[in-house]
Amino acid sequence: MSALLQVSDLEVHFPVRTAGLGGKRVLVKAVDGVSFTIEPNETLALVGESGCGKTTTGNAILGLAPVTSGTIEFQGRNLAALNTQERRKLWRELQVVFQDPVSALNPRQTVAQSIAEPLQINGYSRIDIIKRVNELLELVGLNQELSQRRPGALSGGQRQRVVIARALALSPKLVVCDEPVSALDVSIQSQILNLLMKLQRELGLSYLFIAHDLSVVRHIADRVAVMYLGIVVEQGPAERIFSQPQHPYTQALLSAIPLPDPSLRNTRKQILLEGDLPSPLNPPLGCPFVTRCPIAEPACSVTRPSLQAIEPLYFLRCPVSASQRSVPVKLPIS
Amino acid sequence: MSLLVIEDLAIRAGDLSLVDGVSLAVAEGEVVALVGESGSGKSLTALSIMGLLADGLDLYRGNIQFDGVDLATLSQSQMRSLRGSDLAMIFQEPVSSLNPLAPVGAQVAESLIVHAHASPKEAARQAVAMLERVGIPEPQRRAMQLPTELSGGMCQRVMIAAALISRPRLLIADEPTTALDVTIQAQILALMSDLATEVGTAMLLITHDMGVVAERADKVCVMYGGRIVEQGDVFEIFARPKHPYTSMLLKTIPQLDDPPKKELFAISGNVPSPSDWPSGCRFRPRCDRADKTCSTSPELSGKGHRVACHHALSHIT
Repeated sequence: MSALLQVSDLEVHFPVRTAGLGGKRVLVKAVDGVSFTIEPNETLALVGESGCGKTTTGNAILGLAPVTSGTIEFQGRNLAALNTQERRKLWRELQVVFQDPVSALNPRQTVAQSIAEPLQINGYSRIDIIKRVNELLELVGLNQELSQRRPGALSGGQRQRVVIARALALSPKLVVCDEPVSALDVSIQSQILNLLMKLQRELGLSYLFIAHDLSVVRHIADRVAVMYLGIVVEQGPAERIFSQPQHPYTQALLSAIPLPDPSLRNTRKQILLEGDLPSPLNPPLGCPFVTRCPIAEPACSVTRPSLQAIEPLYFLRCPVSASQRSVPVKLPIS
Repeated sequence: MSLLVIEDLAIRAGDLSLVDGVSLAVAEGEVVALVGESGSGKSLTALSIMGLLADGLDLYRGNIQFDGVDLATLSQSQMRSLRGSDLAMIFQEPVSSLNPLAPVGAQVAESLIVHAHASPKEAARQAVAMLERVGIPEPQRRAMQLPTELSGGMCQRVMIAAALISRPRLLIADEPTTALDVTIQAQILALMSDLATEVGTAMLLITHDMGVVAERADKVCVMYGGRIVEQGDVFEIFARPKHPYTSMLLKTIPQLDDPPKKELFAISGNVPSPSDWPSGCRFRPRCDRADKTCSTSPELSGKGHRVACHHALSHIT
């Protein structure tokens, strides 16, 4: 099976000037060698904290950030090698849902106008547009009565449904969801997650799901890639990443999730990381996690570890934790 | 004896009711969580304690007592001195809550100079010590820097240092970690608990995150539509929620041991804005237990574990 999306050694570097008079020109390596694939009908979650490059990776795929090096192949075609016309055609199959539905919608457009816009641009007839808009409203669970309202008269959850309907207008194959529920109220988040899962089942969509909330990711993802300062530190099946995380950063990230059960208080070992994320302007030599890592060895601050395939589909960028595993983990027999 | 007692608080904007009859108490050294979604009135409740309600908002009814003193009887300057000593608040957005033009060390030291009349030199010394205590590396050098030169997590530590340097008796923390990354959130929550225990500070913790509540609170007040719908001990509320809203809210949280791609429990409908609040019980349009009786407002009743619902869930033990 050929992958729907294949990202190979993606690098996105931004030139910036350091603060102050006569600041030096430096490169921010926002994404520094990221590779992954997404299969049809699959969800890959890109997780990590602010500044790790997960959103920039999504933007590069959408053509919203300049690719410094590496390739992005969508349906077997290199996006960089296409001319504008071909790229436009391909972009119909590649859509996006952003975090904040307020700024993603034009406040002067009605719900119906927002959803119709991609159809108009692609030359649909008036009749087809009306039919398709109604179909889409039903698909995302919005009452047709809302179609003449403007975003200001909608709730946060309803707005996000409009954004999703607009993304689905041209029947895309892949939707990049950048923190699609983090701006919503808790009681609304699960509505939207259920909708995304339903749409995947019904339409066979693939998602690149960018998020920082791991309990949400655990629920929706087939595979997970954990990012830290522009690189992937661990990547594999969601089940595996959540039940046996190997990278010390993934372990800390998982143990930092507050558990919604007071009786579990003090029963689990929390790994509290020291310090903050290093500045991407001045990343540490060697492993980028070395400044906060509880198991770092002297060699870690000298050479950058490579992402190693420990098993098919499971990758780890930490020689220390790889060697510390006393029992080799076997593939589950299904 | 309770340090903070709020009785029947109501806040309005013109004719629009925003907070409607909130009563709660915080005892010395206790951590009380105020939980709710957007528009539930939790932040307004906090701001009214500090006397910081924005213009146009009207403390329409009710009574706030701090250490036995009715805050409404205090003058502006008495209130101001209380805010710098016994009462402190941490806001959600650390970067926008600090003065962008003043070095962070000076902002931490300010309350000591203004309220405790410490000499600038002594205040600066204590500020650096406090910055070190909240885990800021190289505090001497960092104290001279502006907030823009610090990360979000570090700015939040500066806010905590500034709030706790005067050893307040009550700390109000409004979503103190919502803007932060999860590994930083874990650090900050642990730090706040450690310092609060050390100083003996009581805390009113405002949050929407049930995980944070479960890990840090002694007592919980759940707000919906400007009212408290349930309050009680944290273990009770999580093990035996009585209000349908609390119960549903707990069920919507994705569990780390759920099977993948399982359909999540969802509360139907939308979080209503104050102009759309229904009469009677405000959760009624989204509630599966609602009937005709719910068109009259339920009173918060019960001892210890209190609930405002005509059809509260019973738990047979």
